[in-house]
Amino acid sequence: MIRHAGLCVLRGAACLLAALVASVAAPVAARAAEPPVVAAASDLQFALEEIAQAFAAATGERVRLVFGSSGNFARQIRQGAPFEVFFSADEQYVEDLAREGRTRDAGVLYGIGRLALVVPRGGPLAADASLADLRAALGDGRLRKFAIANPEHAPYGRRAEEALRRAGLWTDIKPRLVLGENVSQAAQFALSGAAQGGIVAYSLALSPRIGDRAAYALLPESWHGPLRQRAVLLKGATPAAERFFAYVQAPPARAVLRRYGFAVPGETG
Amino acid sequence: MSDAASPDRAGLVLRVEQRGPIPLDAALHAAPGEVTALVGPSGSGKSTLLRAVAGHYRPARGRITVGSETWLDSGAGVDVAPHRRRAGLVFQSYALFPHLTALENVAAALGHLPRDARPARARELIDLVRLAGLEDRHPAQLSGGQQQRVAVARALAREPAVLLLDEPFSAVDRTTREKLYRELADMRKRLAMPVVLVTHDLEEALMLADRLTLLQRGRTIQHGRPYEVLARPASVQAARLLGLRNVFEGEVVEHRAAPQHTLLRWRGYVLEAAAATVFAPGARVAWIVSSARVVLHRRERPSRGESENPVRGIIGDAVRLGDLTHATLYVDGDPEAPLRFSVPTHVAERNRVAAGGPATVSLLAEAIHLMPRDSGEP
Amino acid sequence: MDLEALWLSLRLGALTVLVLLPLGVIVGRWLAYRSFPGKSVAEAAVALPLVLPPTVFGFYLLVAFGAASPIGAAWQAAFGRPLVFTFEGLLIASVIFNIPFAIQPMQRAFEAIPSALREAAASCGMTPWQVLRRIELPLAWPGILTGMVLSFAHTLGEFGIVLMVGGSVPGETRTVAIAIYDRVQAFDDAGAARMSAFLLAVSLIAITATFVLSRRVGRRLA
Repeated sequence: MIRHAGLCVLRGAACLLAALVASVAAPVAARAAEPPVVAAASDLQFALEEIAQAFAAATGERVRLVFGSSGNFARQIRQGAPFEVFFSADEQYVEDLAREGRTRDAGVLYGIGRLALVVPRGGPLAADASLADLRAALGDGRLRKFAIANPEHAPYGRRAEEALRRAGLWTDIKPRLVLGENVSQAAQFALSGAAQGGIVAYSLALSPRIGDRAAYALLPESWHGPLRQRAVLLKGATPAAERFFAYVQAPPARAVLRRYGFAVPGETG
Repeated sequence: MSDAASPDRAGLVLRVEQRGPIPLDAALHAAPGEVTALVGPSGSGKSTLLRAVAGHYRPARGRITVGSETWLDSGAGVDVAPHRRRAGLVFQSYALFPHLTALENVAAALGHLPRDARPARARELIDLVRLAGLEDRHPAQLSGGQQQRVAVARALAREPAVLLLDEPFSAVDRTTREKLYRELADMRKRLAMPVVLVTHDLEEALMLADRLTLLQRGRTIQHGRPYEVLARPASVQAARLLGLRNVFEGEVVEHRAAPQHTLLRWRGYVLEAAAATVFAPGARVAWIVSSARVVLHRRERPSRGESENPVRGIIGDAVRLGDLTHATLYVDGDPEAPLRFSVPTHVAERNRVAAGGPATVSLLAEAIHLMPRDSGEP
Repeated sequence: MDLEALWLSLRLGALTVLVLLPLGVIVGRWLAYRSFPGKSVAEAAVALPLVLPPTVFGFYLLVAFGAASPIGAAWQAAFGRPLVFTFEGLLIASVIFNIPFAIQPMQRAFEAIPSALREAAASCGMTPWQVLRRIELPLAWPGILTGMVLSFAHTLGEFGIVLMVGGSVPGETRTVAIAIYDRVQAFDDAGAARMSAFLLAVSLIAITATFVLSRRVGRRLA
């Protein structure tokens, strides 16, 4: 009888759901044993994943990575987000958090970021580091949309704006901007067809995932303020987080960072 | 079907009143073993009273007792929950549980029996209402008449102290209805409980009921044996409710003894009416004569009865409906004084009862019933 | 395919439904049977999450439960973890914004039961609890199941609120919907495509089940 079947479904579903309650009622101690959560600026999307994999291979320990814009993370940290390590694309955020007592210390400078112009291969724009082609494209209509990260909370967005202003293109290009929530999303916009190109993190342009789809040009450092990247342990960081933090500063990790275009302090300036 | 242990001699006694939202001012008494019909037009509150007895409606003030049990006593703060009142209620829409078979519907009311006794008892009840063989069908697979019988069986299953039928025959066609009337009449002999039958169909009430209670706008205006109520309505209101015609106004002249009767003046006639000493001479009254007691004067064969209250006039209309002809006599030719009567069609033809023709009728004295004048209530 | 995110989403959906099942039945039934002044306001309050943009909702949840709020601070003191950016906080948010998906179908199902049936059941001698168990639930179960299915599917797909209140913490608040967003940003189109297809399939099944069940409610009470 269908009615009986229906009631059985209800009862069965209720039993299944009741069984799932156990999964939530995990003791707090078990929670503490879970891998630490690391908040990292989106420019580290590929670099930090590689480093984490290497860390796991070397120590057998895992970390949980969350990527986004630095400004967003700073806000979430203030709201009590359970991050243990914070990699910020702009050290200002770290300094502010340190002053508020939310970090263990002042953190370490782990790299200097660079800007790159990225365009899809075969697209209307050329990867011209002088941005002359960009200027021309604005004039002759090849450029309809251009992607950068949101300057309000993404350091790479702010620097992109500075570079564009420096090149005298800001006023003309502003109405055509699409803003990514973080620099990863900006790169996604730039290369998926939503825009004809964009200015994003150099580290993203160097990723093999992007390499076959895009052409890039490194923008001169003098065109924008520095992207001093600072990492810090947050209050309440566990020993596991400390170990990862230490690993990032060790030579194998630094090599990865270098490969992704981060100028590492203490080495070539 | 009798519930041997229950001392329900007093039957159902109900008294409720409230001002709104549904105005009520009703008194009802249904004796055990009798069918009491509750008659009134739509919206008069009949179903509400029934639901009040069953406990689904709580009036503002009232007292409802069934046998020795008090189900409602607003003064004493007693209000027994519906599932604790042993009231068998048959809804107008039958309200059968659509997901249960007929047998299961009946068994649903057998909670007072031990579990293993229920199937057998349910089958007994199904047999009682002559539905054997159909007990495994769902309500959607049963005809209206069959559903109604399941509803009755379910109501009886509880061995109720009172059986409440809410217009149970209204949704059924004529043939089935007549069959069900016979079955109810038959079953009534075996039921020891009071039965309250709500209906707006007067003929049905006359056929089935031992007692009749008239309800209008929430107020009970008369009760008694059906033919008494019909012959002697207590008021013009009651007469209208009963669909009685031939309501007129007159003036009491005097009362005579031996034989006891009352003289009534009307339109220049002085009529002999049934004795009604409650009215003082000179009082203006309303009066009614049943159309069955209006006798046509035959042209060829005058009879002695013609000396009783003869009234002349012109036939206003004569409508033939099969073997009966219903005619209206305009008394003294006045269309404002229509007197209705009926005669067998062959009599009508032989006496040339047709519109425009003259005729004389006699009003049988015992059938002239006096009532208070309409107080002006609409 | 991010199995961790998938498992998280399934747990979130299942627990949301578990909480909303009794809540929906009780409130849906109450709204179906009772008439009272201000009932329209109550029904509007239930329907609010349907029309409110998720970000508005997320914003107010952050204000109400964030670390700075009294509730959030009390929770942190009691359990050592914040209410936001955790599974528990997400569950609470999920229950709240699924209220109309659970309550409305259940309310309709109870409304469809003619009151005469419930009165008849009482006159048969059934206590209110028995009436619920033997008459109301068997007749209303398609609507109840619809409410559960819709809530489950809706939870799986919710994005804006989850992002604002939950962040994207893997294993904690990174649901499938968030994971898809994440994969796209990481230029992992294949991963995003796999998870999207899964969510699409789940949604289709949920909608189909809902329609099938709705027809059953109508037929049952014909």
